[in-house]
Amino acid sequence: MRAVYLPAAPVARHRPRRMSAGRVGVYAFLLTAALFFLLPLYIMLTTSLKSMDEIRLGHLFALPLAPSIDAWRAAWSTVCTGVSCEGVRVGFWNSVAIVVPSTLFPIAIGALNGYALSFWRPRGANVLFAVLMMGAFIPVQVMIYPLVKILAAVGLFSSLPGIVLVHTVFSMPVMTLLFRNYYLGIPQELFKAARVDGGGFWRIFVQLMLPMSTPILIVAAIMQITGVWNDYILGLVFAGNEHLPMTVQLNNVINTTTGERLYNVNMAATMLTSAVPLLVYFVSGRWFVRGIAAGAVKG
Amino acid sequence: MLRTACRKTLLALAAGLLALPALAQNGPRAEVIHWWTSGGESAAVKTLADAYRAQGGQWVDMAVALGEQARAVAINRIVGGNPPTAAQFNTSKQFLDIVDQGLLNNLDDVAARDGWDKFLPETVLNVIKVKGHYYAVPVNIHMPAWIWYSKAAFKKAGIAAEPKTMDELFAALDKLKAAGLVPLAHGCQPWQDNTVFTAVLTNVGGRELYLKVLRDRDRNAIQSDAFKNVLLTFKRLQGYVDKGSPGRNWNDATAMLITGKAGVQIMGDWAKGEFSLAGQVAGKDYGCIAGFGANAPYIIQGDVLVFPKTDKPDALKAQKLLASVVTTPAAQVAFNSKKGSIPIRTDVDASKMDVCAQQGITIMKDKARHLGNGEIYLTPDQNGALADILTAYWNRNMPVEKVQKDIASALKN
Amino acid sequence: MALAKVWSAKASWKRLVPWGALLPMALTVLVGYLGTALWSLRVSLSSARTFPKDDFVGLAQYERLFDNDRWLHSLQNLAIYGVLFIVACMAIGFLLAVFIDQKVRGEGVLRTIFLYPYAMSFVATGLVWQWVLNPESGLQQAVRQMGFSEFTFDWIIDQDMVIYTVVIATVWQASGLVMALMLAGLRGIDEEIWKAARLDGIPTWRVYASIVLPMLGPTVATVFVLLFTGVVKVFDSVVSMTQGGPGTASDVPAKFIMDHLFGRANIALASAGSIVLLLMVVLLVVPLLVLRSRSGDAKGHG
Repeated sequence: MRAVYLPAAPVARHRPRRMSAGRVGVYAFLLTAALFFLLPLYIMLTTSLKSMDEIRLGHLFALPLAPSIDAWRAAWSTVCTGVSCEGVRVGFWNSVAIVVPSTLFPIAIGALNGYALSFWRPRGANVLFAVLMMGAFIPVQVMIYPLVKILAAVGLFSSLPGIVLVHTVFSMPVMTLLFRNYYLGIPQELFKAARVDGGGFWRIFVQLMLPMSTPILIVAAIMQITGVWNDYILGLVFAGNEHLPMTVQLNNVINTTTGERLYNVNMAATMLTSAVPLLVYFVSGRWFVRGIAAGAVKG
Repeated sequence: MLRTACRKTLLALAAGLLALPALAQNGPRAEVIHWWTSGGESAAVKTLADAYRAQGGQWVDMAVALGEQARAVAINRIVGGNPPTAAQFNTSKQFLDIVDQGLLNNLDDVAARDGWDKFLPETVLNVIKVKGHYYAVPVNIHMPAWIWYSKAAFKKAGIAAEPKTMDELFAALDKLKAAGLVPLAHGCQPWQDNTVFTAVLTNVGGRELYLKVLRDRDRNAIQSDAFKNVLLTFKRLQGYVDKGSPGRNWNDATAMLITGKAGVQIMGDWAKGEFSLAGQVAGKDYGCIAGFGANAPYIIQGDVLVFPKTDKPDALKAQKLLASVVTTPAAQVAFNSKKGSIPIRTDVDASKMDVCAQQGITIMKDKARHLGNGEIYLTPDQNGALADILTAYWNRNMPVEKVQKDIASALKN
Repeated sequence: MALAKVWSAKASWKRLVPWGALLPMALTVLVGYLGTALWSLRVSLSSARTFPKDDFVGLAQYERLFDNDRWLHSLQNLAIYGVLFIVACMAIGFLLAVFIDQKVRGEGVLRTIFLYPYAMSFVATGLVWQWVLNPESGLQQAVRQMGFSEFTFDWIIDQDMVIYTVVIATVWQASGLVMALMLAGLRGIDEEIWKAARLDGIPTWRVYASIVLPMLGPTVATVFVLLFTGVVKVFDSVVSMTQGGPGTASDVPAKFIMDHLFGRANIALASAGSIVLLLMVVLLVVPLLVLRSRSGDAKGHG
C-alpha cells in the first residue's frame, strides 16, 4: 500500500502562474506543431479564394489578391459532375441516409461481439476474433468482386440496405476491437455478481454493460461517422445510382483524366464535404477525450 | 353554349397537361455510365444527352470520375445483375474480355442501317468489330500526341517559325533554354511519359516501325538500331524538362505554356480545354503541330459506348436509339467542339471548330496517315508494362540496350 | 435426478446463447473474410484477366510477381514506410498528447487543429502536399525567395527520397488521431500517481518514462493495430501525391494490386499480390497475438 503523506500545501495540478523555461518549451513545441498542421489548411483556404489565373501563376503561399467566394458557391451548387451541374450538394442527404444506419448497426454488433468475447469467452471465439482482425488488413478493393456476387445473389446489390451491410462487414474488425478492449477493462467481479444475481446473457448486456459503455459508444460513433462519411469506393459500387454519397460528386469534381482542373473549386468542395466530420469532432471533441479517459482503451 | 365551350377547353387543356409528363416518361430510358466530369467534358456529354432527348429518349446520368473507376463500376454492375444501358470505354482491348464472356449486346442492325462501314475509319472499325459483329459505337477521336507551343514563349526565345522536323524542334528547345524558359513542359506521370514516347516513335521511327513494335510485337524490330534511335531521342527530350516535373498534373504543365513560362508541351488535343478556359485562342496565342512532315501519322484514340447484354425490349430500344444518335453528323460536331476531339466521320461541317481540330479532320481524310494508339494493339497489361519500363528509363540512367530487352520481354506474352 | 437433467439441459442451451449473439460475426468472418480470401487464392492460381477463369496455372502468377521489379520495390517501400510511419505517429502523437495535457490554454482549439487532417479526404490534401513539396512551386522556392538561396528540399523528385515525403504527409494526417487516443489514455491515469511522484521529488520526464508509458501499454497496443492496418493498405496518399513516381519509385503493394485489378485487367496477378501481402501480415502478427493472449490469460479475465 502507498504510504500516506500529509501534504503541507495543496498539491493539485493547478496551472503554474509563472512562465518557467519548461512552460515556454511546452508552448513553443505546441505552436510549432500547430503551424505544421495548419500549413495545408492555409493553402487550401487561400487557393479556394483565388481565381484560376492567379493559381496558374504558381505562388503557392501568397495571399489571394482579390479573395472571392465564387469557388465555394460553385462547389456547392453549380460545378459540373457529369451531365448535371449542380455541385456537391446533390449527394448530401444520400450520405446522411447511408451514415446513420451504417453507424448504428456496426456499433451495435461491435458492442455485442466485444461483450461476448470478453466476458463469456465461448470456446474458439478468440480464434474467430483473430481471423476477423486479419481481415482488417485486406485492401477493400480486393474484396469487391466476390461481395458483388454475394449481394447480387441475395438481391441486395445496388441498394441502400446493401451498402449498409457492406459497411457493417468492413467495420466489424475495428468496432469489435474497440469494444472488446474496453470491456476487458471492466472488473470481472461486476459480471460475476450479476450472474450470481441470476442475470442471463442479454439481461446483463442491456441492463449492466450498455449503460456503462457510454464513453466508448461516443468514440466508436465518431470513428465510424468519419469513416463512412468519407468512404468513396464502397458507396460507388454498392449503393446504386439513386443513393450515391457526396464523396462521389466530390471525386467527380476533383478527379479527371483529360478534363480541365479548377483547383479553387476542388479545394472548396473538399472543405465543404469534410464539414460534417469536422463538425462532429468539434461538437463531441470533449466527449471523445473524456470517453476514452474512462478506460476505453485499457487492454 | 358558353359553358360547353368552357368545359371543352378545360378538358382539352387537362388532356394536354396530362399528356406532357406521359410523353417524357414514355421515351426509352438510357442509364449511361461515363467519366466525362469536368466542365468541358460535361458540356460535351450534355450535347449527347440533348440529342438523345430530342429523339424522345430519357437520359439517366451516372458519371464516375477516372476511366478506371468508371469501367470498374460498369463491370461490377454487369456482374451484379444491374447493368447500365450503356457504358463508356476506350477504343482499346479493354472490352474484349467482356465480349468473350458474352456480356455485351451487338449493334449489327444499327451499323447496317446507318452504314458505319462507309464513314468510320478502318482503325476504329477494327476496334469495334469483334469476330464480325459490332460491339461498340465510337464517340470521338482524340489524338494524344499533339505538339503544343506558346507563341509568347517562342517570341521571347526568338524562334521565328514553327519547327518542321525533329531537329528543328530540338533547335527550338535549345533556344528556349537559352532564353531562360522551360523548354518542355511535362508532368512526369507514367501515361504522360508514354505520350511523349508515342510522339517520338511516330515522328522519328515512322509508321512501319511503330506497327512492327506495337502491333506485331516483332522482337527484331524492338532490338533494331532504328528503335534504339527512337529511345535515345526520347531520353534526350528528358533533358529539356524542369526539375519540378515529377508527379505534375498535365494541366499544370499546360498552365506553364499559358503563362508563357514554358515553350512546348506534348499532350493530347484535350489540352485545348485548358487554353480556352484561360481565354487563349488556337493559332493566335498557341500553336499546334500534329506531326512532322506531310505524311506524319495521326494517332487515333477515342471513346466508345458499349451496351451490356439485356433482353428487356425497352432497354434494347434505348440502346439502338442511343447508338444511332451518337453517330449523326450534328451530334458529332456538337460533342467534339466541346470536347476538343474530332468527329468520327469526316463528312461533317467543321467550319465552326477551332483551327487545330480542322487540321486534324483534314489529316483524317488521308487514310494512309491513320495509326492506332498503343492501347489499340496491346492488352491493358502489356500497355501498362511498357509504360512502367518507359517511365523508369525516363527517370533513371540505364543503358538503352537494357530498355530494348525489357520491352521485348514485356511485350512477349 | 430428473431435475439435474433438466438443469444441465438448460445450462447447455444457455451456453449456446453467446454463440448465437456472435452469429453475425461468425458469418462475416466465414463468408465475408475467409470466403473472399479463399476466392482470391483460387483466382491467383488461374490466368484470369478481367473475369475469373476456371483454369489452373499453379504458382505461375506468384513467379511472375516475384520476377517483377516493381513489386519487389514496392515491398521494400512498404517496409521503410511502415516503420517510419508507425514510429513517427506514435512519437509525435504521444508528445502532442503529453504537452497538451499540461493544462495549456486553448486546449480545445489545439486539439481541433491536430485532429482536422483526419477528417479530410486525402485526394485533395495529397495534392496540396505535392504542391508544397515540389521544388519549383513549393517550400524550396519559398525559402529560397526569403534569402536562403542554397536551401534544397526536393525529396519528392528524388527516386530514393520520395517515399519519405509520403511519410510526412500521412503522419500529418494520422498523428492527430494517435494524439487523441493517447491523450485519453493519459487522462485515465489516476491523479494520485502525479501527487505521489511530485512529493517523492521524481523529475517529470522520469515519471512519464518509467510509470506513465507502461500504464499506457494497452492504449499503445490499440494504436499500433490501427496504424498497422493503415500501413498495409496505404494507397490514397501515394496516388494523390506521387502516382507511385517518379517512375515507380514510391510504389506500394496496394497500388500495384489496384493497378492490376482495374487498369491492367489482370485480377490473377492482383490476387496473388494480395495473398502475399496477407501472408506477410499473418506471419508478422500471429506470434504477437499468441504472446499477448498468453500474457492476457495470466492477468485479465480468468
